[in-house]
Amino acid sequence: MEKSLTWKEKIAEKMPAELAREIDIFEQQMELRKQGKIDEKVFAETRLRRGIYGQRYDNGQRHDGNRIQKLKLPADVIKGPDTLWDAPGMMRIKIPFGGLNPEQLEVLAELSEEYADGVSHVTTRQDIQYHFVHIDDTPSLMRRLAAVGITSREACGNVVRNVTACPLAGICRDETFDTTPYAKACSRFLLGHPDTQDFGRKFKIAFSGCQQHPCGLVTMHDMGAIAKTRVVDGKEKRGFALYVGGGLGSVPYKAKLFDEFLPEEELLPISQAISRVFARLGEKRNRARARVKFLIANLGIDEFRKLVLAERQKLANDPRWTAHLPSVNEQTEEPLKAGVSLNGGERPDGFDAWYATNTYKQKQPGYVAATVTLPLGDASADQLRALADIARRFVKDTIRTTVEQNILFRWISEADLPEFYRAIKAIGLGAPDAATIVDVTACPGTDTCKLGIASSRGLARELRYQLGEKSLQLDEAVKNLRIKVSGCFNSCGQHHIADIGFYGINRNVKGFQVPHFQVILGGKFHDNAGEYGVPIGAVPSKRIPEAVLSITEYYVRKRLKDERFQDFVRRIGKKEIKDLLEDLTKIPDHDVDRAYYSDWGDPREFTLADMGIGECAGEVVSQAEFTLAASERELFEAQLLLDAGRPRDAAKTAYASMVRAAQGLVKAQDPGISEDENQILAEFTSRFYETQLFWDKYAGGKFAEYMFKAKEFIGAGKAVDADRAVQLLQEAQLFIDAAHDCHNKLRVGVASAVKLDSIAQTSA
Amino acid sequence: MELQKINVKVFTAEPKVPLTDFIDVFHGWIQATDGVYLDVADYSHMQAGPGIVLVADDANVSIDETDNRRGLLYSQKSKMSGSNLEKLSTVLRSALENCQRLEQEPALRGKLRFLGNQVEILVNDRLVAPNTGEAFEEIRPEIDFLARRLYSTTNFTLLRNQQDTRLRFNVTISTPLSFETKTLLNNLQAI
Ligand code: SF4
Repeated sequence: MEKSLTWKEKIAEKMPAELAREIDIFEQQMELRKQGKIDEKVFAETRLRRGIYGQRYDNGQRHDGNRIQKLKLPADVIKGPDTLWDAPGMMRIKIPFGGLNPEQLEVLAELSEEYADGVSHVTTRQDIQYHFVHIDDTPSLMRRLAAVGITSREACGNVVRNVTACPLAGICRDETFDTTPYAKACSRFLLGHPDTQDFGRKFKIAFSGCQQHPCGLVTMHDMGAIAKTRVVDGKEKRGFALYVGGGLGSVPYKAKLFDEFLPEEELLPISQAISRVFARLGEKRNRARARVKFLIANLGIDEFRKLVLAERQKLANDPRWTAHLPSVNEQTEEPLKAGVSLNGGERPDGFDAWYATNTYKQKQPGYVAATVTLPLGDASADQLRALADIARRFVKDTIRTTVEQNILFRWISEADLPEFYRAIKAIGLGAPDAATIVDVTACPGTDTCKLGIASSRGLARELRYQLGEKSLQLDEAVKNLRIKVSGCFNSCGQHHIADIGFYGINRNVKGFQVPHFQVILGGKFHDNAGEYGVPIGAVPSKRIPEAVLSITEYYVRKRLKDERFQDFVRRIGKKEIKDLLEDLTKIPDHDVDRAYYSDWGDPREFTLADMGIGECAGEVVSQAEFTLAASERELFEAQLLLDAGRPRDAAKTAYASMVRAAQGLVKAQDPGISEDENQILAEFTSRFYETQLFWDKYAGGKFAEYMFKAKEFIGAGKAVDADRAVQLLQEAQLFIDAAHDCHNKLRVGVASAVKLDSIAQTSA
Repeated sequence: MELQKINVKVFTAEPKVPLTDFIDVFHGWIQATDGVYLDVADYSHMQAGPGIVLVADDANVSIDETDNRRGLLYSQKSKMSGSNLEKLSTVLRSALENCQRLEQEPALRGKLRFLGNQVEILVNDRLVAPNTGEAFEEIRPEIDFLARRLYSTTNFTLLRNQQDTRLRFNVTISTPLSFETKTLLNNLQAI
């Protein structure tokens, strides 16, 4: 029995070398944080960039309904500001364009059991999330994902997040062309790219195959691309309508057209140029205004475009820009079986209703895509394993997650549908509710999110239940409406683009806090999130189901023939709907019925005491700080090499750690500094040594000289014994400490300069 | 094999209690302790899912619906010391103590009964204990010993679900007679 192996050893052969190395590095960073050698903010952003997020109560306290309890968790190590090391957290896993295969489903199932609470949650951006994960388990978790080609890198933090795309890409009857290869190339190209590492905020990208359908939700993204073709010199050419500066959040912005036809070969260089402009000019201090949408709003789209195009001109050619293009026309997926139409075969009970809502005829004759709706986006480990079996039986590996928190199986031979339906029904996933009012989307809300105000999942669960009971009697016009719920104004549940949207707020009723939801009506999911909804007013959480019934009944009664919900809302106006809901804004007094004073699925008296500081915004950590943290890690690696009896390698790595620290300092002044050792040393010497900026009050330039001497020593190729290596390691530590001191001095200098500047501005 | 992350599931008789009723009960437990429990997770919307989970740093307690069979699942998370037998019996005892506590809950009294004739042991770590015959044989003596103590002189069977090697290591101890939770706890005291 292989009892002494670690996951690292057991699956070493299966992990791509680059991913394996990244995870090793992260494990070392964890160790350094435990030793207090990495600053808590730097570590927080580091782990966020690995997909490791904070979770509610991770500050070590929780309101139990009567009082705040201090949780019994060790408090000596923290993994970020006010975030206890041992507190369970969330792990987000990037699934580019939602593409999954059965082997990956099986591994996701295993990991959810062993490291989380047995549930894999599909997010509104096609990711998978686990909750209640201990940070110590994350390296093994990441290694097991890496072994099946999945990374959590840059799933959170101020970086390019998961690149999403229509789940129907490649099989859609209305698409211009399949955007999958472009989404894949974009995701790979920007992952870890040096130009995407210095954003003040996250950056989200989406692809869509057409303008009119909702699947890609392009206009609510920082950057969105819609497939277009154009005839040039008699030949059809592919490209994209490129949009920039969209985003939801508390104030939703619709993306602006950057280019109505960006040729396919320009997609990646322009993405890179946009990233560079955002990194350079985007807000860094005020996170609330740091998304690219604010930069574009400030500059104006024309000026932004001008800057991006100028930046594009400066870029040196990169072969990766076009490497994917020769194969974009090749079909990327293969069906398991021949496409045979569904005719006359036996139809199991419930099949027809499910067929009507959950299937989509592909453009390829005889094939169908089927949506497996996951209640609230949740799947158990057993369900994921069963779905893997179902995939192998019916479609091979053509599975995608959707932004509506479901899973889509593509390339099912239509004749197989009754059997497919039986198989998913047997695991409790045969509900006939895809893309209906019952299939409510919700963010995690107060269940796990530190910023959650009201229970979005609790409300969504209740609405699913109540509407599911009535679904067969619902008017057809109502059945097809979408409901989306967010736990707060940050809009992770995408409430702005729902027909009926809600976000959690708090209201004071006669001295008591009461969970409420703000009602937002008339958002447009279609046309790639074509319009944002109108805020109507706040309704107590426990009365929202009544509000939904009231609104939908009114719509059925008062709508003009074939009038769409959005048009109806705009026609009758906010006031009329507000009046309609007026009665529902009232609740009994606290001593009459306390149920209104607690949230769905949570008997505690409602309070905001559990809210914490969110990590959605990440920590704004400069590249200089990251590089200094990297130097610490390299020094740690040198120590490991020394411990392993490899003094020469240890000495070389210790020297490299000094160069890295020097690079960090140079980056503070010149973010574009290269990786070239000689250039780093030259820049360091002229900017920090000769100017005496790096000099210590007492030791003068001694610490810098350690590095210069180490260079000579390593360069001379002399033998290195353990003693010399130890000495070099100690000198490297002193050098790195001095680099931190120097950086702090510079920061204080900058801060006081900014302060003086702002005083001057205020008084002006 | 050095066992860690041991889970024990004790099945309930026909579910009479709506699953969501356990949410209030678990919140009550949180109020009655001081910082031991971190949260209650509600998965009542899932079929055959993890049910309602009372999360703690050391071990979760849940009303679990896996395989559409309701039971109390005690999931040890933090590292344990001692022999495998000691660890198994500690986790089993903790599971039964939680069953007893639930049976005594005023809101559930008379509505909730644990069958006591079947206990499932899982190891939530595929590295330590894969779901193989080899692993089963290695750990069988300890489980056998534990089952003898648990069920005293009654015959029992040990059954491993070997249909699906993707599952976690699992063994179900079954006996034809019904046992009260209290009796099982008394029997375990002998270890
Ligand atoms: S919308 Fe608010 S509550 Fe929901 S996940 Fe986002 S930040 Fe959290």
